[in-house]
Amino acid sequence: MEFWRKIMNIDRRWVYLLIALSVTFPMIVVIKFPVEVTPVARQLYDAIDKLPDSSVVMLTFDYYPNAAAETEPMSIAALHHMFKKDMRVVTLSNIPLGGPTIAERITREIAAEYDKVYGVDYVNLGYKANYNAVMHGLANSIESIFPSDYTNTPLKDLPLMDSVKNYDDIGFIYVVADNATVDYWIQIVNAQYGVPIGSGVTAVVAPKMYSFVNSGQMTGLLGGMKGAAEYEKMVGEEGKAIRGMDAQSMAHLAIIFLVILGNIGFFATRKKEGKES
Amino acid sequence: MEGISFLEHFQLWLRAYLILSLFSFLYRDNRFYRLSEHIFAGLSAGYYVGLIWQTVIIQQLVNPMVDNGEWWLVFPGLLGVLMFTRLIPKWSWVSRVSLAFVIGNTAGIYLISSLHGLILPQMLSTMNAVNTDGSFSSILLALVVIIGVISTLVYFYFSKEHKGILGVTARVGIWFIMIAFGAHFGYTVMARVSLLIGRVQFLYYDWGASIRQIF
Repeated sequence: MEFWRKIMNIDRRWVYLLIALSVTFPMIVVIKFPVEVTPVARQLYDAIDKLPDSSVVMLTFDYYPNAAAETEPMSIAALHHMFKKDMRVVTLSNIPLGGPTIAERITREIAAEYDKVYGVDYVNLGYKANYNAVMHGLANSIESIFPSDYTNTPLKDLPLMDSVKNYDDIGFIYVVADNATVDYWIQIVNAQYGVPIGSGVTAVVAPKMYSFVNSGQMTGLLGGMKGAAEYEKMVGEEGKAIRGMDAQSMAHLAIIFLVILGNIGFFATRKKEGKES
Repeated sequence: MEGISFLEHFQLWLRAYLILSLFSFLYRDNRFYRLSEHIFAGLSAGYYVGLIWQTVIIQQLVNPMVDNGEWWLVFPGLLGVLMFTRLIPKWSWVSRVSLAFVIGNTAGIYLISSLHGLILPQMLSTMNAVNTDGSFSSILLALVVIIGVISTLVYFYFSKEHKGILGVTARVGIWFIMIAFGAHFGYTVMARVSLLIGRVQFLYYDWGASIRQIF
């Protein structure tokens, strides 16, 4: 019984150490847990894959840098998928910190792998405050909301934007987000303007999004690092998400172990304390 | 990460220092942690002010007025300025004019989008869930939806004491709510672990590459 009492009063720093080790170990010793593709992730992949080649797709970077571990692999895998199919990509961000700069960095990196030209094959519109007004405004005219792109180049100087004036010219919107902006993409852009929307969101946001998939308001969903790993697998581009899933699985096993241990300890010590009192 | 420049080395080491400083709080509070925390707060605030100045004040207010002669923007600009009267106690009531405009405007926009894009489609989807194809699984799912929705709604009905059949139904509702919370909690744990993995991946792969190249 003394053992369980010690377990129940263990210094929390030992728990931190266990989690740190369980996350670090799979990076040194690669285990490769299998990544199974879920129907909602497949739905998103198919929705983009079935678009005609050279379609225009809008990709949003609505996430802060602290969520990049989950969301950045989603954006990277999507860009690989889109550029492989010669789609033209318009990126933007409704988040001031992180989103615009991450979009600029990774879009240029991935585009270079496929010899895509800025302004012709892809454009980064950057950030504009007040996402509600932005989402409504883009329906009338993209240029009225974004007179210039992320680097202050006027949109009229970018050939791609000659044929992309508003939502009518966009085949699909793929929202990558770590917050409530995805709700408004659905409630405003999908509901009021009829543009099909799929999303990749952090695991915290994901449970709420299933109701939008079930209602048909959202076409496909990626939830957290697991969702990103699924997309990487479907695109055939193994990245940080698939590599991170080993660590994720090990950490989950460690947490399950701690939950079981804590529960046994709780009931064992409660029984003992009950007898003593 | 081959051929890392001096500037990139500096960036990698600075990022690693900040990450490790922040993680050091898990052992105990210390100066390194507090310095990193203050750097983060200061940088975020400074970046935010600069960004809003450029993307809102300059791009959406000053430029349209100067370049396109849209002088009517003086009025929304004035409403923005009135918000600062909150800093003067004697004149703080003036800011209510701006707040009234913002609240009224926002409520109107959100009411329509919530009704049209959230409440009605979700109600329709819930009602459609009971349209079964006759299979056992679809009937079971429909039953779960019916019982789950009704019992959860009953739990949030506070006009009558939860006794008798109302109490039993509300307790069933609590079970459904708890299961939903459990799913949310599980996903939240996954999200927090992912954040840790992101930082450890940076330290192991990116910072590790810099260490290997230097030493």
